[in-house]
Amino acid sequence: MTLERLEEARRAFLSDLEQAGGDAGAVEEVRIRYAGRRSGMLQELTAVLKTLPNEEKRDYGRELNDLKKLIEEKLKEASGGASAGTAGRRRAAIDVTLPGRRPRRGAQHPVHLVRRRIEAIFLSMGYSVEDGPEIEDDWHNFEALNIPPDHPARDDQDTFYFTDGHVLRTHTSPVQARVMERQQPPIRIIVPGRVYRRDSDLRHSPMFHQIEGLLVDEGITFGHLKATLETFLHQLFVGVDIRFRPSYFPFTEPSAEVDISCIFCNGSGCGVCSRSGWIEILGSGMVDPRVFERVGVDPERYTGFAFGLGIDRVAMLLYGIPDLRLMFSGDQRLTRQFA
Amino acid sequence: MRFDLSWLDEQLVDAPPADVVAERLTACGFNVELREPDAATEVWDVEVTTNRPDAMNHRGLAREAAVATGTLLKPIENGPSEEGEQAANLVSVEIEVPELCSRYVARVVRNARLVESPAWLAERLERCGVRPLNAIVDATNYVLLELGQPLHAFDLARVAGRRIVVRRAREGETLTTLDGERRDLDPSLLVIADAERPVALAGIMGGADSEIGDETVDVLLESAHFDALTVRRGARKLGMHTEASHRFERGADPEMATTAVDVAAAMIARLAGGTVCRGRVDIYPKPWRPRTLEVSMPRLSAFTGLEIDPAEAHRILDGLGFEPSLDADRVRCTVPSFRVDVERAEDLYEEVIRHVGYDAVPSQLPVLATDPGRRCGSWPLVDRARDAAVSVGLTEVVTYAFSSAEEDEAAARLPLIAGGSLPLANPLTQTQTAMRRSLLPGLLTAARANLNQGETSLALFEEGRVFGADGQAPVEKEHLAIVLAGSFGNWQDRATTSFTDLKGLVDGLIERLAFPAVSWVRDRDSWLEDAEGAVLTAAGGEVVGVAGLVSRTAAKWWDLRQPVYVAELDLSAAMDRSERPRFTELPRFPAITADMTVEHRAELAYGELLRTATELASPLVVSWELVARYSGEGLDPDMVRTTLRAVYRHPERSLLQEEVNAEQEALRSRLAAALDVRFA
Ligand SMILES: [Zn+2]
Repeated sequence: MTLERLEEARRAFLSDLEQAGGDAGAVEEVRIRYAGRRSGMLQELTAVLKTLPNEEKRDYGRELNDLKKLIEEKLKEASGGASAGTAGRRRAAIDVTLPGRRPRRGAQHPVHLVRRRIEAIFLSMGYSVEDGPEIEDDWHNFEALNIPPDHPARDDQDTFYFTDGHVLRTHTSPVQARVMERQQPPIRIIVPGRVYRRDSDLRHSPMFHQIEGLLVDEGITFGHLKATLETFLHQLFVGVDIRFRPSYFPFTEPSAEVDISCIFCNGSGCGVCSRSGWIEILGSGMVDPRVFERVGVDPERYTGFAFGLGIDRVAMLLYGIPDLRLMFSGDQRLTRQFA
Repeated sequence: MRFDLSWLDEQLVDAPPADVVAERLTACGFNVELREPDAATEVWDVEVTTNRPDAMNHRGLAREAAVATGTLLKPIENGPSEEGEQAANLVSVEIEVPELCSRYVARVVRNARLVESPAWLAERLERCGVRPLNAIVDATNYVLLELGQPLHAFDLARVAGRRIVVRRAREGETLTTLDGERRDLDPSLLVIADAERPVALAGIMGGADSEIGDETVDVLLESAHFDALTVRRGARKLGMHTEASHRFERGADPEMATTAVDVAAAMIARLAGGTVCRGRVDIYPKPWRPRTLEVSMPRLSAFTGLEIDPAEAHRILDGLGFEPSLDADRVRCTVPSFRVDVERAEDLYEEVIRHVGYDAVPSQLPVLATDPGRRCGSWPLVDRARDAAVSVGLTEVVTYAFSSAEEDEAAARLPLIAGGSLPLANPLTQTQTAMRRSLLPGLLTAARANLNQGETSLALFEEGRVFGADGQAPVEKEHLAIVLAGSFGNWQDRATTSFTDLKGLVDGLIERLAFPAVSWVRDRDSWLEDAEGAVLTAAGGEVVGVAGLVSRTAAKWWDLRQPVYVAELDLSAAMDRSERPRFTELPRFPAITADMTVEHRAELAYGELLRTATELASPLVVSWELVARYSGEGLDPDMVRTTLRAVYRHPERSLLQEEVNAEQEALRSRLAAALDVRFA
């Protein structure tokens, strides 16, 4: 039975080689098919040997060896003739424009690419990267940050609740509070992570990503805040102008909204920047002493600043992605562009 | 918020050019987001932050503009010419709950006619987004937009007993508000009542019964100050949001009540005819008391990082109404009644800094002595997992961390979930009602979308948290899941995804993630195909992963029309990789390999065979390789031949072929004794 397979293989090989004629490419194909190291027929036939009962092994082995020799000789003849160019047979050249075999390449989602880029900038400035729960208690998400119940700021942050009173964190700021509760200054951290708001349209998604930053020490000034954020933004968006505008956040005072000159129109005004020439990029401010009091840091001794920005938004700006919801669609055609 | 530029300019002595005003307002914290030309003026959309109700009107914003551009605010012209009866003889006011209503001012205008407002007034209201109705109502809205004081006009004839009582609503009372809605009231709501029943929701909206209408002759004007929290809770409860509630919620100015009612009364008399009765009724049980604060100039400068000139600080605080007085290096201030946001000295720093200008503050990097930055919490692990997944050729997706109720229910059957169901109390949509307990539902949804998109090869992963309830406490765990479908390779050798591909990927990942020893065990009761599903268990038997072909039932449910392989791993099983790797001496002596073909029943798992062989083999065997598996021709249908290759190596000398042969022979007999196997 098994010997017949060897005979079949021999016949098939000779006929294929005949058909290949003097064409080097075709001969190479025959070689791969029969003597290829990955999946050539000889490999298969050799594997069979080991599964045979001992009594069949000897005959099969001998025949197999003969077949191997035959194949080797004939292939050598065919390709030798082709390469030597003798006897009018030329080795046909491989079409080098054919695609090669590439290993499969993975790709990271743009949100995480940008997150890690931002982390690298702050790590180089001595910040640690902190972490915290996404399901938060009311204290850390709101009260510790000077947002008591019924504070109007709670309206701006439509919150997902659980029946036991826990919330899905609406920002990464609760980790600020957690770190300050367990550690006295100096504190120099950033906190990337997922956050949730009960909102969904072209510009809002019920889930998105933020990075929060906090620096607390003696003698920290508003000038330090400016320099730190300017340094960071100049590394992330090369060549932009930066402007600080007074704003309001319950947990910082004074607060500053930070704009960069529009990277699409260089500040001359376009659709992306609502003709203003500026793009809002992050919120920041000096930590409100009320927050220090709530988390047990002495506001007489320490000052500090905090800031936060949307990672998805930065990714959209940096890579020109138009729709926030595309980020969470699971469409691999998005991520493949960043392979 | 919308502002009429001509109206703003009117408040200022020598209004600067529009461009200057817009730029300076933005620089001091009132971002002029949009400027639209309108007739001879402009409509501005200005961002007024929620802490600044005092600037949610033209006069308040003009105050900021005056300080920002170095000009002055004009005084308010008020004082109606009064005649006839005393208002106090026409209406009486009582406040039952002074803690919820600190002031109630009333004026009466008699014999007013119901006329339309002149064009200039109607246009101003329209520019600010308020619909003009009639001169009387429009005058109250005009004053609101100019001075920030919400007013209400009642038809005096319809106020029973000509009596105003500010009280809590009673259980069972109802009120049809101006918008035509009939509202059920309860004692948590503050109302304005007449002698008989509620006639208005205090600080939110008036009632339809006492509305100004065709028959109105005498007008009762209300100018009051209500408790912010009460208005806020009431408006929320009733699902209402009005110009009045917006301002009361954030904090109105009790001292403005008289001025505003005077201006409005004069305006009504001017536009709608009629006469303003003498005097006001002014019930003010809890008069506002000014507070003083002291700013230390050295502290302010140190905090800012800029030496601030005391004279400049004085000018700014004066312009903002803080009546500053300089005393050496301290500035003593009185907080004006309209600044509800200023409570302590630090609040005044902000006032000075934003008008000095953020641009004026020099940028200087802090020099700090802290430890070098490092990654904490789960960050090193999750990014290690991410890198591992990318390195084996997987493409990352990020999906929502929610599940639908059906998905959540189905997840309960998975062998690897974070805990009990964790539903949201207020979901946004029906497809996102609970926190995901597994990454697979999201990933399968993504797989379906990609396949429907026409993608032919899928090798996706997601790293993210899954959630669950563990008794009372919510649990969060980092998981990594992958999905494989379609075919891979190039034009020469294209292959359809198989379990072997999945297993190779998963084994590669858990090796890179330093999982402890993991066993693959057939899984028989989840979303996976019986024949091609496995759970991964750690030494203690706990499930750390799941992998296999999505079952036909599940595939149907997910509307997947081709075979899809999935796996999910609990990353908490991964070990800390901070331990540094150790170098092992390279082998100095050659290895000898020996093959052995074992014939056994198909039920004997390869893993079991290999484990037994490893246990029974000589210590000189350093590694094993599977060379071939054969079933079919020449074998019983339930039998398999497995060819194992053992690699023998002695650490200190060259081995002889005879030694290896003897070891193999010994191994064969030990195996035959231990397992139901034969040797070919
Ligand atoms: Zn632009």
